[in-house]
Amino acid sequence: MKNVQQDQSGVVSEIKDKKQMNQGEKERYGSDDSNKVWQFFCSVKLAVVIILVMVVACILGTVIVQEKTIDEYTARYGYGLATFFKVTQLNNVFHSYWFSFLLVLLCANLICCTIKRWRNTILQAGFILTHLSIILILVGGVIKLQLGVKGGVNVYKGKSVNYFLTQRLTSQGKVDYIKKDLPFEIALDDFILEKNEPKFQLVSYVKSKDRQKVLEAKPGKRYRVPGSDYKVTITDYVPDAELKQEPVNTSDKVENPAIFVKFSNSGKVVAEGWLLAYGRNAYEDKKQNLRIEYCWIPSQLELEKSLNSLEISQAKVTAAIAGQLYDYSLEFNKSFKIEGTDYTIRMLQYALNYGDRRPLEEQPTDNPAVQVEIAGPEGTEIRWVFEKFPDWDKMHPAKYQKLKLTCSGIAGAFMAKNTVRILHAPEGKQVIVFIKDKKIVETVPWELEKKYTVKDTDLQLLVSSYFPSFDFKKEVIKKSDQVGTPAISVTMEGPNGKVTDWLFSNSQYATWYPDNNLALVYEPTGDTIKHFISKLHIVDNGQTVAEKAIKVNDPLKYKGYAIYQSSYDPEAGSFSGLQIVKDPGIPVVFSGFGTLCFGVIFIFYIKPFLRKKQKKEVKEVEE
Amino acid sequence: MSLMNIALIVYIFASIAYIVREIWRSSVTKWVSLGLLILAFCFNLAMVATRSIEAGHPPFSNLYESLVFYACCTAFIYIVFEFVYNFRIVGALAAVLSMLILFYATLQDDTIRPIMPALKSNWMLIHVVTYMLGYAAFGIAFVTSIIFLVVKPFAKKTKGDAGAEGKEILPRNFDKLSYKIVAFGFPFLTLGMITGAVWAKKAWGDYWSWDPKETWSLITWLAYLVYLHTPLVLPKMSINKSKASVMLSIWLLVAFGIVNFTFMGLSYLPSAEDSAHVYGLKK
Ligand code: HEM
Repeated sequence: MKNVQQDQSGVVSEIKDKKQMNQGEKERYGSDDSNKVWQFFCSVKLAVVIILVMVVACILGTVIVQEKTIDEYTARYGYGLATFFKVTQLNNVFHSYWFSFLLVLLCANLICCTIKRWRNTILQAGFILTHLSIILILVGGVIKLQLGVKGGVNVYKGKSVNYFLTQRLTSQGKVDYIKKDLPFEIALDDFILEKNEPKFQLVSYVKSKDRQKVLEAKPGKRYRVPGSDYKVTITDYVPDAELKQEPVNTSDKVENPAIFVKFSNSGKVVAEGWLLAYGRNAYEDKKQNLRIEYCWIPSQLELEKSLNSLEISQAKVTAAIAGQLYDYSLEFNKSFKIEGTDYTIRMLQYALNYGDRRPLEEQPTDNPAVQVEIAGPEGTEIRWVFEKFPDWDKMHPAKYQKLKLTCSGIAGAFMAKNTVRILHAPEGKQVIVFIKDKKIVETVPWELEKKYTVKDTDLQLLVSSYFPSFDFKKEVIKKSDQVGTPAISVTMEGPNGKVTDWLFSNSQYATWYPDNNLALVYEPTGDTIKHFISKLHIVDNGQTVAEKAIKVNDPLKYKGYAIYQSSYDPEAGSFSGLQIVKDPGIPVVFSGFGTLCFGVIFIFYIKPFLRKKQKKEVKEVEE
Repeated sequence: MSLMNIALIVYIFASIAYIVREIWRSSVTKWVSLGLLILAFCFNLAMVATRSIEAGHPPFSNLYESLVFYACCTAFIYIVFEFVYNFRIVGALAAVLSMLILFYATLQDDTIRPIMPALKSNWMLIHVVTYMLGYAAFGIAFVTSIIFLVVKPFAKKTKGDAGAEGKEILPRNFDKLSYKIVAFGFPFLTLGMITGAVWAKKAWGDYWSWDPKETWSLITWLAYLVYLHTPLVLPKMSINKSKASVMLSIWLLVAFGIVNFTFMGLSYLPSAEDSAHVYGLKK
């Protein structure tokens, strides 16, 4: 094990030589006054102070946004601070006078201390090189500021330019563009955008943990969703898929009764579609003022009753509070006191399509809603209750959160002029009820594939098929072997058992596991540009003097100018954004970089070895 | 079990082994603790390797990849140092540091994404590797500073005890150790900054544009530069020696904070929206 004290590396080791140095200095620099100034500029104390002030300046220069227009500062920080920043140049720290002064001071400090400490020994090489390199870099920076230019220009395919634009912040704090001429012409022959193969990823989201994570999408493997106990298996993959939904009948038991209805006008079918008794059970034609309903009646007895009654689906508002449910029929301007509570509700109005300004009879039944006034211990609250969005109140602030209101049957509350009700009950009893102006005009038994004329219209109605257990068979069709719109079939396992579903990469919606806690999305991943390339040639004095396909990272250089690929037209891809830079300071700065690298390596890695060797030699001589 | 979990667990075991070694010093405990840390490092290195094969590009294109590599470098630098210096208890915290960095990586988005054109450069490779080695050395210096600050008050009391020399918690001249580690890391930081500037020149046309990332890497560099120069100032300022080493140790804690802010915290800056180089900006 080594003794730590023995091989001090780096700057600290120099302390020991100090005392001998000071002696020599006093002889070299005579008078006391100039000596003081000299000492000040040589001191490490000054160096440390300058560096610390620079640190603070740099922090300010990133905490305060830089080089913005005066309006932006005013909007962000207010008028007072904005003016303060402008006066102190804190809006442009790195090009301010005081920062330049700091750099000049730093330079002076470096030069002085380097001269003072200069000794022609190999051990000093690193110290001299590092300090010199920083001076070189700063000098190069000044050359850039004085003689360099940087700007940009857009060139269209097949066109050429002989100028570019630079940006400048005026003293009023406005951005100003200045046109600069080029001593040659740049022509864009072609612009090429190379894209990456599209990639897709499976993303999981666990709601209770609010955690999103990308899963590996390897078919066949069973993965645990990170941070949960769900398991996910990809069971199938189709590179270019299309979803076909085909209506099928899954059993002869009545589980989801549905009929396919056709309307025709003098032999031509004008409308057709499935009506589901427990789903979309009505079709409306506002122009004809006609509504068709398909109702499943569970028993013979009830069917008899329904034949003579107008109301089948009774419109009602349901109040749920403290686990109890209370139903109220749709009656306006009547107050209902909710039993055993302090609440009273009153229905104010309703709409078939919430937000629709048209009269009720013209509104489609897209979003039925009832407006309800709730009177309670804390005053009244008025809220809209939506038939199709029973959880609306959960997501929106309400005064009486504990009282939940829902409604149903609102769509049927307004009766069209003509209503056709297709009633269906077990054991083949099936009747069509024609209602006109809220009166039953006719009841006819119906059969499949038979036409019935709707009273007072030219329309004929036909039920072409009946599925007691309607379902959609989802079928995924492979369109091609190329990667287009890929889809994966995923089996999810969790507390509610196994569920398998297809996930399409072009779907906007997440697929939720039945417990509504795990969601999966299959989606294309981000940024897919691989390269953008501009084929340029340069014309000088009528002659093509240079030619190159430039990329990001690979510019074209000519006459001290470097032409960089920087952007492109994101829509049509018809122009290329070039950056044009001229910086005569580059050789100076880069030699500073090289010197600095060599200097630090010398000080911290080479010098300690040289010192050790020298010490050994001294010891050997002494012995 | 994923490589990530294995690496995390082995780091924890290594850390425990280092603590055991401190209590029960023997060559067995010494080699077991070092062996475990090397094992953890190997797993970590395997993660870097598999990732770069899977992604098909050098594994530093996003914060997740950089953190995994950073953890790997920290372990590596520590192991190198342990062969050179008498480190002992430092290993326990170094293993924890690597473990924490890895753990922080697990919280990041680990999607493999195609890299943007500007990142396809060899300069980027040198730039990131040198920076990470520098940061790793500063991480170890951070650990030694913490240990120095925590143990120092106790070390004083036992000083009179001549017989206890070998049993002392800190090796002699422990405070100078931090300095040596920083001196080792500083050239890497310098190289990282310069290669970054050269790369920026190649890719964006300017070696320095006072971008927040550039500015903060300068701040980091200046912070350690001050640290390296202060020993020249302190003797002139009539500050007693032990106070000076406490101040320097505290400065290293601050400087390491700056390192991590430069590395990961820049997206919190208001000026970050204008930056081309800041990780994890939300669009
Ligand atoms: C990579 C950067 C730098 C390195 C590696 C470095 C290294 C050193 C070394 C090794 C010494 C001791 C020389 C000796 O005693 O013979 C020293 C002294 C000094 N450095 Fe630096 N330096 C660097 C940058 C700077 C900067 C930016 C300044 C700012 C002004 C600075 C100011 C000083 C001063 C004033 C001394 C003289 C100390 C004295 O005279 O007592 N150095 N530096």
